[in-house]
Amino acid sequence: MRAIKGVLFFCDPAVKQILLVMNEKQSFIIEDLDDHHLVIKADEEYRVRRELETELEKNTYSLD
Amino acid sequence: MPALQRPSEADKKDSPHALLPFLQTQSQTTLTRLYQRPSSCLSVFRLLAPLERQIVMNLLWLESAIATSTMVAWVQRDGRKLYEEALGNLSRLHILPNSAAKLALNFTFKTSLRQALTGGGTSGSFGVPAEKDEHSGPSIKTLDSFALERWETILHYMVSSGTGQQPAKPSQGVLFLLQRSSLMSSFHGGPLQITSSGFQFLLHSPHAQLWDLLLQYLHLAQERQMDLVEVLGFLFMLSTMELGREYLTENLSTTQGVLLEDLRDYGLIWQSKPKSRRFSPTRLGTTLTSSSPPLPTTISASSGPLDGFIVLETNYRIYAYTDNPLQTAVLNLFVSLKYRFPNLVVGMITRDSVRRALMNGITADQIISYLITHAHPQMRKNNPLLPVTVQDQIRLWELEKNRLKSSEGYLYTAFTSQADYDLVLNYAKQLDVVLWENAAKRCFFGSLEGHLRIKEFIERRTQNSNS
Repeated sequence: MRAIKGVLFFCDPAVKQILLVMNEKQSFIIEDLDDHHLVIKADEEYRVRRELETELEKNTYSLD
Repeated sequence: MPALQRPSEADKKDSPHALLPFLQTQSQTTLTRLYQRPSSCLSVFRLLAPLERQIVMNLLWLESAIATSTMVAWVQRDGRKLYEEALGNLSRLHILPNSAAKLALNFTFKTSLRQALTGGGTSGSFGVPAEKDEHSGPSIKTLDSFALERWETILHYMVSSGTGQQPAKPSQGVLFLLQRSSLMSSFHGGPLQITSSGFQFLLHSPHAQLWDLLLQYLHLAQERQMDLVEVLGFLFMLSTMELGREYLTENLSTTQGVLLEDLRDYGLIWQSKPKSRRFSPTRLGTTLTSSSPPLPTTISASSGPLDGFIVLETNYRIYAYTDNPLQTAVLNLFVSLKYRFPNLVVGMITRDSVRRALMNGITADQIISYLITHAHPQMRKNNPLLPVTVQDQIRLWELEKNRLKSSEGYLYTAFTSQADYDLVLNYAKQLDVVLWENAAKRCFFGSLEGHLRIKEFIERRTQNSNS
């Protein structure tokens, strides 16, 4: 048996796909569990969250 | 979405007053000393929930203890739980000692409350009023504007920190308290910046804000070795004083003298000059334990449902009928302001403005409840009060920000047999630390807290099987 330290991400499938694409550039995913769950390296969480944020921002319009 | 209840009113009914939990943590001796002052008893009595007040009133004029069963006989079956809770609260405050057979009020409390209601006894607990003479002290109007000015200086300082403006600074003591209560903090020795709990603080009602700060003050007083009974006693005395009346400082102890100066900074007390022998409580002080608004309603529109000023339209446009810089600044937290007229501010609730607020740690519910509490009387004709589109959208924006939830922990995989997997998984489930599991892959994810115990469990098992 093995125990791997990490951070469990719970997200919708769309976000998961974005994360998978991001993973190809710089790998951080430890285990792809299912459509809604991923385990990633604990020390990468902050960076991943920030990059995801910018990625999602690209998809929104603003009137200003 | 169903029409929302007015949260501010619901809060008042459900949750006990902020001070009571603090009092409940105090020792019996402290409280008994506090109850020696009639004014304190009266104030504590006013803070209690209605049912608790009724129980106290029923027992107040009884000379001897009554049997618990007599009291219970009044309570209907479905009210039993509420009754038990009330008794529990009273016994934690050491007003009504917990006893299986007999019910009787704490003797000190009983004597003092009786005295507070009937008068007589040694004076001083309610303050010593000064004789009225030719310079008959400040008018109520002076007091109100003083209190308002002081209070808004504090709030305005908080709200405009980090925006580059330089508003008037409150006194050093206030700044220290703001920092202590982590409403503001300084990053790397820089100037004070408002924190996320500070933003939430700004959206509270003035009464709640006042008590938030005073509670912090009480904690601080404990650390500074100030006598808590003196501090509390003074606050309670203040809350029973008459607005527009002057009182003498002669009977005050040294602790209370220090207190006098601190409370002057918060605007609870007015003095003509720092070393004056007289002081007058302001409306902030006299309403500490009552339900009337702590700030004069005619000048300020920052409190109470009667004087709302915000009109919100379905197109996210917001019209705020106010000339108060503080209210404008608070709105600026989550509205993008467009135009400003002498008595009107116009703005839009946009995705960006709400996101900024969310980043600052304000929640969607807080924004909505602020808008509801301060809605213009004209808005109150609408049902639901706020346009549903806007409410929903604000909530959606919040959800959008939280598309990703994360939790740290350990992934347990590569179990040698199904039996092994089941055993460890069951143990983890008993600890309630399983966040995700998949039987087909024979792996599960457990939270960080559970890891040590799971590890020990497995080690114990391997040792047993080896030996």
